[in-house]
Amino acid sequence: MIELLRAAAAADADGAAVVTDERTTGYRELLASAEAIAVGLHERGVRRAALLDHDATTVLAVLAAGSLTGTEICQYPPTDDAGEIAALAERFDHDVVITRRTDLDGGPAVLTPEDLHSPGPAPETPPEQRPLLVLTTGTTGAPRGARHDWNRVLRAAGRIRPGTGQRWLLAYGLHQFAGLQILVHVMAARATLVAPAPRRPREGLAAMRAHGVTHASATPTYWRFLLAELRADGGPVPRLRQITLGGEAIPAPVLDALAATFPDASISQVYAASEFGSSSSMRDGRSGLSLDVLERGDDADIAMKIVDGELWVRSRVGMLGYYGEEPLDADGWRPTGDLVEVVGDRILFRGRTSEVINVGGVKVHPLPVEERVGAVAGVDMARVYGRPNALTGAIVALEVVAAPDTDTEQLAAAIRAACADLPPAARPRSIRFVDSVAMAGNKIVRRADA
Amino acid sequence: MSATRADVEQTVRSFLERAQKPVDALTADTPLYADGIGLDSLETAELSAVLEDTYGTDPFQSDTMPQTVGNILSFYDSVANSAAAGA
Repeated sequence: MIELLRAAAAADADGAAVVTDERTTGYRELLASAEAIAVGLHERGVRRAALLDHDATTVLAVLAAGSLTGTEICQYPPTDDAGEIAALAERFDHDVVITRRTDLDGGPAVLTPEDLHSPGPAPETPPEQRPLLVLTTGTTGAPRGARHDWNRVLRAAGRIRPGTGQRWLLAYGLHQFAGLQILVHVMAARATLVAPAPRRPREGLAAMRAHGVTHASATPTYWRFLLAELRADGGPVPRLRQITLGGEAIPAPVLDALAATFPDASISQVYAASEFGSSSSMRDGRSGLSLDVLERGDDADIAMKIVDGELWVRSRVGMLGYYGEEPLDADGWRPTGDLVEVVGDRILFRGRTSEVINVGGVKVHPLPVEERVGAVAGVDMARVYGRPNALTGAIVALEVVAAPDTDTEQLAAAIRAACADLPPAARPRSIRFVDSVAMAGNKIVRRADA
Repeated sequence: MSATRADVEQTVRSFLERAQKPVDALTADTPLYADGIGLDSLETAELSAVLEDTYGTDPFQSDTMPQTVGNILSFYDSVANSAAAGA
C-alpha cells in the first residue's frame, strides 16, 4: 500500500487522495501521515494492532503504515459496544487498539493515530512478510479473520491504469475486503476517494452529487436502494461514468435499471470474496460470468472450476488461511460456497450452499425466486429465506418491501401469480410486507436463522 | 391474541379461497386432506404459516395433527380456554 501512495505522491503531490464531508487530503499529506505513523509503529515495536476508526483518511494512513513496517493491522467493524470490541480483541489476541475512542478501559492498550505520529525517517522498504488481517462480514456466520499479505493483495495493482480525475465513491465499509479493494484500486489509479459517512445509499447519493463522483462500486442491494432514493427524491441524476457491482449475486433487473438510469456509465460486475480476492470483471451487462473464466490456465491470478454445482477457485492473490486455524494451501483449490449453473455460455449464480432451503426434501435455491419476485411491479426489495415448518421442515418465505402507495393485498396476489409456474416447493408460502429486509454489510441475509 | 371461532373459520376460508379450494360445502367435519378439501403437504404447511402469523400459535405444531376444519377450531378454543384459566 505504501508503494502506491509513494508513486501517487511522486506523480501528483497535490492531487486529492481522499474527500470526506469534513476535508480533502492530498497525496503528499496522506503519505507524510502514513510515514509518520510507520515510524511510530516501528519505535513502539507494534507487530499487530486492531484499528477502529471511521475516518477513511486515517484508515488509509494506518493501513499504509502497517504495509511499510510489516505491522499486521486488523480493522474492527464499526460498533458502539465496548464489550464487542473487547470480545474481538480477546478472540484475535490484540493487545493494542488504534482508535480515538476514550471509552475502552481495562481492555487492550489504546493508542490514537496522533500518538503514533513520530518524526524521523521512515523505512525505505517494507519487510518480506507484510501481514494483514481482514474480518469477514458475517453473511457466512460468526466473524473470522482472513490472513492476507500485502504482497498478494497488491499483486494485481500494477495492472491498474492511471485514472487521474476519477472520483470513486466509497460505498463499502473499510473493514470489509471489498472496501480494501476500492482503496487499493483508487490509490493504484492515483484517483480520488470520496468517502461519505455513514456509508449508506442515502449518504452515497448525496456525496455523488456534492463531490462530483464519477465512479462507484457497490453491492446490488446498495444500488437498488440508491435507485429507490433517486426515484423518491426526484433530484438530479449523478453523472456516473463507471458503475461496478459485486459482493453478491447480481439480478438482471438491477443491471437493466442501472443502464436505464445512468446511460453514460459503463457497467461491470466483479466476482470477489475476502478469501480469494477480486476477479473476472464482466462488462457486457449480462448476469453471471462468461463460461471462458473456466479456461484461464495455470498462469491466472484466479482460476475457477465447477465441482458438483459449486464454484471453486484457486487464487494467487487470496488469503493464507484463517486466524487461529490450520494454515491452508494458499495457492490450492477451494470451494467458494457459491452454487452455480451453466446456462448456455453463462455461469449463473443460484445462491449460497448455506442458503439452500430444504422443503420436504426438495432443495430450493432462494435467488431465482427472489429474482422472480423482484421483477413484479410494486416490489422495491425482496428477500427469500427458509421458514421453519412442522410439516415440511421449511417453507419458502418471502419478505417484501413494497413501493410507496402500493395495495399490498393486490401486490401479494401479483407475486403469487408471478410464482405460479415455479415448482410447488419453490413457491413462496409465506409473504410478509416489511419496511426493510435483513442485511449484513449491504448484502441481503438469506439464512433461515436471520 | 384471543380468537373467536368465527375469526378462525374466516381465516381458513380466505386461505382456501385463495388456494382455489372448494369452500361452499365447508362444515366442521370436512376433512382437510385427500377426500375432503384436498390440501397437499405444501398447502397444509402454508395454512399453518397463515394461522401462526394471524394467531401466534399453530395447531399443526401440536401433538395431534388436525384432520378436519373442526379440529383447527377446537385447537383455538382450547388455547382460549387455557389463556382464560391462566388469567
